[in-house]
Amino acid sequence: MPHDTPLLACRGLTKRFGSFTANDAVDLDLHAGRVHALLGENGAGKSTLMGMLAGSRRPDSGTILLRGRPVRLDSPARSLRLGIGMVHQRFMLVGPLSVAENLSLALGRLLGPGEVRDLGERFGIPVEPERRIDDLSMGERQRVEILKLLARDAGVLILDEPTSVLAPEEILELYALLRRLAADGRAVVFVSHKLEEIGLAADEVSILRRGRVVARNLGPASELDPAELARLMMGGESGTPPARLRRAAGETVFSARGLGGSDAQGLPAFSGVDIEARQGEIVAVTAVAGNGLEALAQALGGVRPPVSGRIVFLGRDMDARRWPPERERVAFVPEDRHGQATVPDLTLRENFLLTTPGGRSLFPDFAGADRLVRRAIEEFRIAASGPGALARELSGGNLQKFILARELHKEAPLLVVEQPTQGLDVSAVAEVRAALARAADDAAVILLTGDPEEALALASRVMVLYRGRPAGWVDSGAPGALDVLGRLMSGLEAA
Amino acid sequence: MIRLEKRHGPPPLGGLPATGAALVLALVLGAAAFAALGADPLAAYAAMIRGALGYPGAFTEVLLKAAPLTLTGLAVALCCSLQVWNIGAEGQFVFGAVGAGLVGLRLWPEAGPWALIPACLLAGALLGGLWAGLAALLKTRCGVNEILSTLLLNYVAVIFMEHLYFGPWRDPAGFGFPGTAELPAASFLPVWPGTRLHLGLGLALACAALLLFLLRRTGFGYRARIIGHSPSAARYAGFRVERITVLALCLSGALAGLAGACEVLGMQHRLQDGLASGYGFDGIIVAFLARLHPLAVVPAAVFLGAAEVGGDQLQTALGLPGAVVAVIEAALLFGLLLGEWISGRRVVLGGADGGGRGQ
Repeated sequence: MPHDTPLLACRGLTKRFGSFTANDAVDLDLHAGRVHALLGENGAGKSTLMGMLAGSRRPDSGTILLRGRPVRLDSPARSLRLGIGMVHQRFMLVGPLSVAENLSLALGRLLGPGEVRDLGERFGIPVEPERRIDDLSMGERQRVEILKLLARDAGVLILDEPTSVLAPEEILELYALLRRLAADGRAVVFVSHKLEEIGLAADEVSILRRGRVVARNLGPASELDPAELARLMMGGESGTPPARLRRAAGETVFSARGLGGSDAQGLPAFSGVDIEARQGEIVAVTAVAGNGLEALAQALGGVRPPVSGRIVFLGRDMDARRWPPERERVAFVPEDRHGQATVPDLTLRENFLLTTPGGRSLFPDFAGADRLVRRAIEEFRIAASGPGALARELSGGNLQKFILARELHKEAPLLVVEQPTQGLDVSAVAEVRAALARAADDAAVILLTGDPEEALALASRVMVLYRGRPAGWVDSGAPGALDVLGRLMSGLEAA
Repeated sequence: MIRLEKRHGPPPLGGLPATGAALVLALVLGAAAFAALGADPLAAYAAMIRGALGYPGAFTEVLLKAAPLTLTGLAVALCCSLQVWNIGAEGQFVFGAVGAGLVGLRLWPEAGPWALIPACLLAGALLGGLWAGLAALLKTRCGVNEILSTLLLNYVAVIFMEHLYFGPWRDPAGFGFPGTAELPAASFLPVWPGTRLHLGLGLALACAALLLFLLRRTGFGYRARIIGHSPSAARYAGFRVERITVLALCLSGALAGLAGACEVLGMQHRLQDGLASGYGFDGIIVAFLARLHPLAVVPAAVFLGAAEVGGDQLQTALGLPGAVVAVIEAALLFGLLLGEWISGRRVVLGGADGGGRGQ
């Protein structure tokens, strides 16, 4: 094997889900002896790519090469037999069983405690065979997962966001371990958002944006500029948004002090957030995934109320835990369009009633909903056959316009919008942004987005959330605002 | 290469092919069971049809069984629309019977028919609903899986009823026979002249129509449908998911309880051994045979009732063991599950994956 042949590579790998292209002709080289970091925003296609390499997803076209030879990876078991192992974000361990029992399951034969200990020492991952997985820290569980793969002779290790569950000191340990495993001749690739630590962890970097590789095998990673990486990750979107409307903002609709809240698992996700929104204004909050943006959106949207803080809404002061006072007065467009904002298997008629007063009465006004849906279809130019169409039949952009139409119909004084253009095509992005700008004529709008360019394009002020805490506010008219945002988002700079 | 692939979206023709396939599969499985018992399957099926339809009054027997099956089938179907699984219709049926007995024997035995019948029916529905409500509270307050709690509460209910008619409610003039005294005649449901058919059938039909209205037209039904499809969307919309779940389980229990009360007031006229004869469990089969549609529950219940009445004929005509009816019912359910599985998939010809095209 010539030295420069990658251990694992892919050429022209493409994966589509319906009309959405998750991976578009992706080329990637993973070399033995190197740690490779894969960067990209949410929805950039990282997990899809990892899944294809690990055998859990099948590409629509393209080739995967192992030591220069094409291979067909049609199951995770097959990938693992060929020496390609993956550590998923959610660990594949049996909680009530011991470390030794979990390793035995993975290897298909019973291992004694001594054997397990030897195995751990051989790979430099000390483990206690008798301890239950449920009693281990996340970092310890991760090491058991890695040991499972090493015990099966994995030469390629794929880790999906391995640092997202770890405490800071555990992250450093993980990086050291990855480097050691690579030094032994393995190829290691991991998905990450943490730009500031890339130099510490990786030898080289590739970046995915909207399913395409925009930078391949950049390196050495320690010499890369995180701000430049951030710019490559976010990219300059081609769909030019409408010019930001400069208007005199009206009275303060919403003002929160010291908001704190938790994620879906009930773990603390953000704290100390102060945010104010005035009628006629869009304010934005932006963050890299995993920094509390999703939890803040669910809290402001009233789905998972904050656990601490105070909110003044339309002049009324209240405990943030009682938010929202009336659902009719807060409109919320969540990120999850299929499942939270709409029910895919139900009709547009039924989905429209989800948040409209007609749906709360003893007898829902289905006929009235039909009229409203028809009007929305016309006004927002939604491609749908009519009120009887199922939500799942609409494309992402049309469904998002439908949701926007429904939420704007409430004419609520506050509109909370989370990741409104994620996964949409260029024209839908422009339409959605234009609708948001129009909505801000009458309402106060809080926009939560992982895309700093979108935040700057639409909002007058942008707050950055980093590790669940406000890292600073940026006035979108300020010179170099995007650079400042990028640095704040990656934790490089405190404003 | 031919393979089955998961289908997205609803099955074709509203799932009718699936139900048809289920029935055919059930008949084939049943034929295999007959053959294994040494009987001629065709003769056995002929005997069943004769038993269910072949003589005057046979079909009224079928309808007599179909009435409680309709109510328990509706009970199961109602919960399923929220993706809540009520396996406890049997126990709720029993508590419905106990409720009718409580009013008829203890609380208000002297009342006239116009007061006593509605009171007994209401008490039955109420106790059935409360019994299901117990499982609902366990689910929403403590996170206990309702499949487990409703199933286990069945046994508690049956033992409780046995305690009543072996103990405090035992008929003093019953010569030690396990059962309560007969309820007052004022509690007997009106009967169609010349048959044993009682008002219970009418109530069951009315409940089917009411449930259809409840699920399709009312806010409760709308919210239940949203919860069944996506609890996340229901919370986004601000629905009180727990409260609606509790209400649905209680209503479901009330339907099963009504079936139990009708069985006491219309047929048995006392609490006794053999009252809990599996109508609650059979309701599960009925609901799924009807693909959870309230109106389709009625023919499904008639079908299952016919299978049971016809199955009794197998014992007398062919000398087959009585348990063969249960075997046929099981075959039906298995056939149905298989049909369901198939209708959720579509046949794909050729390999659709391009993972190895580079080879």
